[in-house]
Amino acid sequence: MVQNYLAVLLFILVGLGVGVIAPLLGWILGPRRPDPQKNSPYECGFEAFEDARMRFDVRYYLVAILFILFDLEIAFLFPWAVVLKEVGLFGFVAMMIFLGILVVGFVYEWVKGALEWD
Amino acid sequence: MDFTTVIFSAFALTLLGAGMGVILSRNPVHAALFLVLAFFTGAGLWMMLEAEFLAITLVLVYVGAVMVLFLFVVMMLNVDLDRLREGFWQHLPLGAGVALIMVAEMVLVVSSKQFSKLGADLQPASETVSNTRDLGMQLYTHYVYPFELASVILLVAIVAAIALTLRKRKDSKHLDPAQQVLVKASDRLRIVSMRSEGDQ
Amino acid sequence: MMLMLQDFFGPFWPAVWALVKIVVIVMPMMGAVAYLTLAERKVIGYMQIRIGPNRVGPLGLLQPIADAIKLLMKEIVVPAGADKFLFLLGPVLSIMPALAAWAVIPFTPELVLSNVDASLLYIMAITSMGVYGVVIAGWASNSKYAFLGAMRSAAQIVSYEIAMGFALVTVLMMSHSLNLLEIVKAQQGPLGFLQWNWIPLFPMFVVYVIAGTAETNRAPFDVAEGESEIVAGFHVEYSGMTFAIFFLAEYANMILISALTSIMFMGGWLSPVGFLPDGMLWLFAKMSFVLFLFLWFRATFPRYRYDQIMRLGWKVLIPVTLVWLVVVGILMQEPLRGLPVLNIWFH
Repeated sequence: MVQNYLAVLLFILVGLGVGVIAPLLGWILGPRRPDPQKNSPYECGFEAFEDARMRFDVRYYLVAILFILFDLEIAFLFPWAVVLKEVGLFGFVAMMIFLGILVVGFVYEWVKGALEWD
Repeated sequence: MDFTTVIFSAFALTLLGAGMGVILSRNPVHAALFLVLAFFTGAGLWMMLEAEFLAITLVLVYVGAVMVLFLFVVMMLNVDLDRLREGFWQHLPLGAGVALIMVAEMVLVVSSKQFSKLGADLQPASETVSNTRDLGMQLYTHYVYPFELASVILLVAIVAAIALTLRKRKDSKHLDPAQQVLVKASDRLRIVSMRSEGDQ
Repeated sequence: MMLMLQDFFGPFWPAVWALVKIVVIVMPMMGAVAYLTLAERKVIGYMQIRIGPNRVGPLGLLQPIADAIKLLMKEIVVPAGADKFLFLLGPVLSIMPALAAWAVIPFTPELVLSNVDASLLYIMAITSMGVYGVVIAGWASNSKYAFLGAMRSAAQIVSYEIAMGFALVTVLMMSHSLNLLEIVKAQQGPLGFLQWNWIPLFPMFVVYVIAGTAETNRAPFDVAEGESEIVAGFHVEYSGMTFAIFFLAEYANMILISALTSIMFMGGWLSPVGFLPDGMLWLFAKMSFVLFLFLWFRATFPRYRYDQIMRLGWKVLIPVTLVWLVVVGILMQEPLRGLPVLNIWFH
């Protein structure tokens, strides 16, 4: 069982390898003539002012937090979906209560305007 | 040395290296990425323990979701590390004390007799039934109450996250079309009767 | 010959043999990506009453090769203010999940690199790492456009991942397994294409294709690139091979999504009608259909605005998936499952 994951691990390493080797080839074959203008960040012909890494709208954090919560919900749903036939009505009702409670949260988020992008 | 040992050592060493990287790197973004690597290799170790579902869920939830939030925060807040480093020597004694106590606790727990007994009465994972199925059968029958409690905790987290972060922005130039079409001529234009200049 | 090699590598033989198989999967993948770019330009060309590339080789068939050589010979520019290591790490983290997910994709019942129990979960986990490539590239570039594009794209990807996850849960409910092989086998039956998941899970099928388009940052959800506002988004500072890797990852992801859609909703390698044999070619035909949809979307729809994208993801797709999840759950219950028409799909 776990032996099967060896190939998966190797595939991950190959994936990383492709990402390393291809730019390396490009670096060997391509020219290297840096100059200050070429290396400056792209800004439609202006000199870049101030640091590009700026503070950001808090909404993006909110999306990331809500994503974590929903992702956890999905992690709970996966084993449930697999055994739904075996656990029958009891398991189904248990999950409906679980989802019902979380839908309350979803409705709250909707009504509060956390899903609004304006 | 067999193949499993090679892979285990590779994972374990990477995990330790990544852990060191988290606390030693000067750049918070690098530190967060080292933590991602640590989770990933941790998942590899869990996988070697045949905890298939848990290992992949660790990657799915921690690497795919929690660390994305971490990265968002350290990238967008632009944490100034030099300021954070300021009182290093001053707080060192306190920090070292806490660290010592934690190490002592860990040594006590790991060396106790109870700890070595922990896994003794466990059955090995079934060869035929998949991990996920096993877990599902337990979770939605025996442990259904804790499972429902988890949903309440998640609900609290949703409400708290919204309450803490949601603010109405004042500088937003958003237009609401529904409001716009409701405008009547009388809201925008007022006709007043006044004498024209010629009458004077 | 085989035995000799086996002796030579000793305990490392399984790893070496797996590596050979990986190369056999990755190489045609690269070719498919190259020719998908040509197909895209041709298809969109004809949709806009042009003929597309036709200069390099007959019918422009050598165009992708010319493109690849050109990209290989270009300078890799690393911007002055960039975090050099992370700047080069971005593309690596972008291509890795796009390729590594192929480890568990079954081409036929026998032809799968590693047949693991939790293959669908693995795909969810590994593709959720794709967002790192985008975020790191955008941040490391130290360019405002790149940073804006990366943040937009990251929030968009994670939003659509939820709808995607819920859609996958309904597929699992139908097949009682996380294994992609089992998922295809659960769709097998005498009625051919009428037994595939796309009929009972039709809303999920639609949601999955839409979410897949958004996940891969394709038009009409390509605000991450949004060339009219933020020039090229997160990869504005990338050139030569580093840019090519992002390009490769986007197309490899498209092919991956098309393969997953075919496997989960359209019966994978199964033949649509009883009298024709099953086989890998059916899978490729179904994948081509989904890929054609992606190209068609790009030629047809104008780009969504960012607030519209987020609204579609959170306020339309997620409620739809939640409702359908409950519907499928109810239909799975004992008396209903055995009813005439329903027992075609629910077993």
